[in-house]
Amino acid sequence: MSHTELESDRPAGQRLADERLANRELRSSRATASVIAAVLIALVGLYLLLEAALKAIGQPSWLADPEEVAGWLHQLPGNVAPAVLGASGALILLLGLFFFLQGVLPGHLHRHRIPGRRGVVVVDDEVLASSLARRARTEAQVTREQVLVVVSRGLVDVRLRPTSGIPVNADAIQLAVEDEVRRSRISPVPQVRVFVSSSGVVGQ
Amino acid sequence: MNQTPRTLNRILITLLGLLLMLAGGTALALALVPALAGWWHAATAQAGANLQAVLDATTLPGQRDSWLWIVASLLLLLLVLLMIAWVAQQGKGRTGTIAADYDGDGAPGAVQLSSGVAEQALRAALLERDSILHATVTAFDYDGGGALRIRVVPRLGVSPQAVADEVSDLVEALDLALGMSFPVVIHLVAGARSRLVRADRVR
Repeated sequence: MSHTELESDRPAGQRLADERLANRELRSSRATASVIAAVLIALVGLYLLLEAALKAIGQPSWLADPEEVAGWLHQLPGNVAPAVLGASGALILLLGLFFFLQGVLPGHLHRHRIPGRRGVVVVDDEVLASSLARRARTEAQVTREQVLVVVSRGLVDVRLRPTSGIPVNADAIQLAVEDEVRRSRISPVPQVRVFVSSSGVVGQ
Repeated sequence: MNQTPRTLNRILITLLGLLLMLAGGTALALALVPALAGWWHAATAQAGANLQAVLDATTLPGQRDSWLWIVASLLLLLLVLLMIAWVAQQGKGRTGTIAADYDGDGAPGAVQLSSGVAEQALRAALLERDSILHATVTAFDYDGGGALRIRVVPRLGVSPQAVADEVSDLVEALDLALGMSFPVVIHLVAGARSRLVRADRVR
């Protein structure tokens, strides 16, 4: 069962608006990186503003004269130890790489969209995992602490430690979890992987 | 759902990243490859000469420095102001008025619906449900109208589809009560609260 099937009775414009809303909810807005970048640029800009203003009114410079800085840049590989220059260059490169990746990567949040009758429904992966874990543990008849479910974009990973002496049927759990995934109707249907640990838990 | 300028964010961050990578990469290359020093000296000497020529050309007679420094100061001031404006854009869009009707079928006056109406009604109804531990409702400006963002912390292990259906029911009831429908986002989150609640003992 897919989104389009369920929502086909809605008008196309509504579906498009919902799609836009959902995309905003499922991806990072990059607000944090933007604020960091803006503060960085503003601080550097303020310093340069001060020096430029001092130069404009003909006063001596505060920290460094722009012409001296230009001269220092011109002399570059010779006037700084290569290790220092290389290290600071690498640091700036890494900082740039961070901002570049923040700007270019899709930035998927750990959420899934499920079809809803009204509005756009977005579920944190943790909520999804806890519902799958509940299903897995009722199927295996173990306690809450014995099941660990991790949900990522394309994969549901179920890890189960059976009670010592009571065997657990991994296939049955696989089927149950798959059924629960199907019922939750998350849109890219993830693959389910069940791992039953060989060592059991005593005294549950 | 808020009005964070996402495209602008990405464009500016990418630009800044590219600039820093260029600067850092140049410094790293100069440190690692001594042969590049000659090229760097030639290139910066050329650029410095050009810059000096421009500065000399813009220096008024009798003045010590070029008037370009004043222009640079103003441009930098503009840059700093733009950065402040950019920060101010992040995460804005919350509204106190979810709907307004200014013509009212020709009647005098205007009707405004505070977002508190929708927020309080939904919250009160949501908190009565057993499967829901906590809920917050916020109103946003969206596409020229109001929109609601419903943040729900479901009890651990409840089927998300069931919770979504319950919330949808309540939203539909609100639609009927208000006589209008807003775009709605229902967000099921795993809060610290759902983790702290005691596990059910029946198994």
